[in-house]
Amino acid sequence: MGIIQKSQVKSPWIMHFCNSSCNGCDIEVLASLTPLYDVERFGIVNMGNPKHADVLVVTGPVNYRTARVLKNLYDQIPDPKMVIAVGACASTGGVFHNCYNILGGVDKVLPVDVYVPGCAARPEAIIDGVVLALQKLSKAVGVAK
Amino acid sequence: MAPRTVAPFGPQHPVLPEPIQLKITYENEKVVDVVPALGYGHRGIEKACELNEYPKNIHLVERICGICSCIHGISYCETVERLWPLEVPPRAKYLRVIYSEMSRLHSHLLWLGLLCDALGFESMFMQFWRIREKVLDILEATSGHRVTQSISVVGGVRRDIDAEQEKTCIKVLQEVKKEAESLINVLASDPTVKARTVGKGVLTKEQAILLGINGPHLRASGVKEDSRMLGAQAYSELGFEPIVETAGDCYARALVRAREALQSIELQLEAFSKMPEGEIFERPKGRPPANEVTYRAEQPRGECFYYAKGNGTQHLERFRVRTPTFANIPSLLVMLPGCELADVPVIVLSIDPCISCTER
Amino acid sequence: MIENLKEITKDTLLQEVQKFADAKARFVTTVCSDLGDKLEVTYYFNYSPGVDMSAMRMVVDKNEEVPSISGIYLAAVLVENEMFEQYGLKVKGMAIDFGGLMLLAKDSPVLPMVKDKAAGGKGGE
Ligand code: SF4
Repeated sequence: MGIIQKSQVKSPWIMHFCNSSCNGCDIEVLASLTPLYDVERFGIVNMGNPKHADVLVVTGPVNYRTARVLKNLYDQIPDPKMVIAVGACASTGGVFHNCYNILGGVDKVLPVDVYVPGCAARPEAIIDGVVLALQKLSKAVGVAK
Repeated sequence: MAPRTVAPFGPQHPVLPEPIQLKITYENEKVVDVVPALGYGHRGIEKACELNEYPKNIHLVERICGICSCIHGISYCETVERLWPLEVPPRAKYLRVIYSEMSRLHSHLLWLGLLCDALGFESMFMQFWRIREKVLDILEATSGHRVTQSISVVGGVRRDIDAEQEKTCIKVLQEVKKEAESLINVLASDPTVKARTVGKGVLTKEQAILLGINGPHLRASGVKEDSRMLGAQAYSELGFEPIVETAGDCYARALVRAREALQSIELQLEAFSKMPEGEIFERPKGRPPANEVTYRAEQPRGECFYYAKGNGTQHLERFRVRTPTFANIPSLLVMLPGCELADVPVIVLSIDPCISCTER
Repeated sequence: MIENLKEITKDTLLQEVQKFADAKARFVTTVCSDLGDKLEVTYYFNYSPGVDMSAMRMVVDKNEEVPSISGIYLAAVLVENEMFEQYGLKVKGMAIDFGGLMLLAKDSPVLPMVKDKAAGGKGGE
């Protein structure tokens, strides 16, 4: 296995994008970076730049305006990439299912690999979701875990 | 004339966890013009509130914003109760105050952390978020959830705090208070923090009033205005006094929020000591009558205005929320021009923007 | 019941708002609601520091033009744009005009808050 594949699985860089979410899941994503949960000890680093990222973490339902932005970001992430939908509303639309400006879950726009349930999803659940995504990623790059 | 550049700030920007865009025109390093572009977080909650039955709206209203979620839920109930009007049991009033203040505390700690992050003071950011977790722990222990507590229902509250939980809460709050005090002392006296915030984004008292801003942002400009002074819930019995600073710059805003965080611990401790025994919920009779009411609540980010119009059915005819950031954004159009490019993130953050609130 | 409510018309709107501005009142917000064939617009103000609110209400036809108060209170600009997008209330002379694309995107439903479903695309179905 090459060094690149190995480091992709051992130290995934995530990018967080907030759709029209309520913030609840965003602060939980941020909270998982802070001392109590500290995902950096697993080599997970939060990035602001899509071209550096391996995993796209999306919170919130897709609305008519963010759909374009989301697609755009996804296209900029190099392959192989994983998409994690964090929270009930990113997965299905959740409580916002009957709001007029909402298209629905993230899977209306992108292929989603892992769905993290919860409203708001707990930091533990989010970390678990990233680990699941990594297992899938290691299959994709041909590294057994 | 120096050449002008227009650059977008956002919608994906490291200091903002949420999407908002500011189209900023620069002349060399100076900002000359700002136009906000919103809409990345618009869902249409006001309309959905008319479509759902009124008790179900609580869950929707709480998800206007995940940080102020608890107070949104409580205020929705307060607003709808005013349609009858209904009186909630006294213990429920105190519980509502306690939960409101707890969410103010965690929100202010969150903001202080984000401010440090914007200043590049990474370790302080982590410290504030570390003590914030303790507040979330007691929220979870008493209500069942870290973020969306869903504590309030029309007619009272959903869960009581028993004697043992009360003891834990008081113990944790005292710990948080000690740690927060020492962190805030460092923050307030640090020369690098002062260099980045003092004299930045100044708003005078007159400007502040004419711009219609509210909350800690307004109080930092020397206006003694706080919706908690209206004395709703149990605030009238707690001897509440708003915190005011006069400088009107980013540093003053940070001080107001820091002192409010400590004040809200005091308010909670006082509320625990005065809380009467008794019922926590009284079932509302019938449907909300045809009537219209307004209500103002103090969110961590400022005054939040609610309007509800009933029509005698299970549905509301109209429900409107004017959130604090919605009123605070126009102040950016005045504060940003003239400042330097590198100060933009700090000034934007100093209004404590909450975009999902703004756009609903 | 709304306290201190005063009925006005669109012709006296600017004069009345100017009175509030002269008295150093703080603009709180406006609330627009759909009465079927007319729109009801209520402006809320608050004397700072103050406990009581004052309100002014006017009822206008759906395609009537109303003057913008953003020349007096800049803060009103966002809410006026919002009313235009959600209810189709025509506001003349806004300080910043987002052209109906402040909150809504190009392919969002149009006039989403209007009660008449025929006029508003998805209307929250
Ligand atoms: S899942 Fe719930 S908490 Fe998370 S962003 Fe959606 S509404 Fe907010």
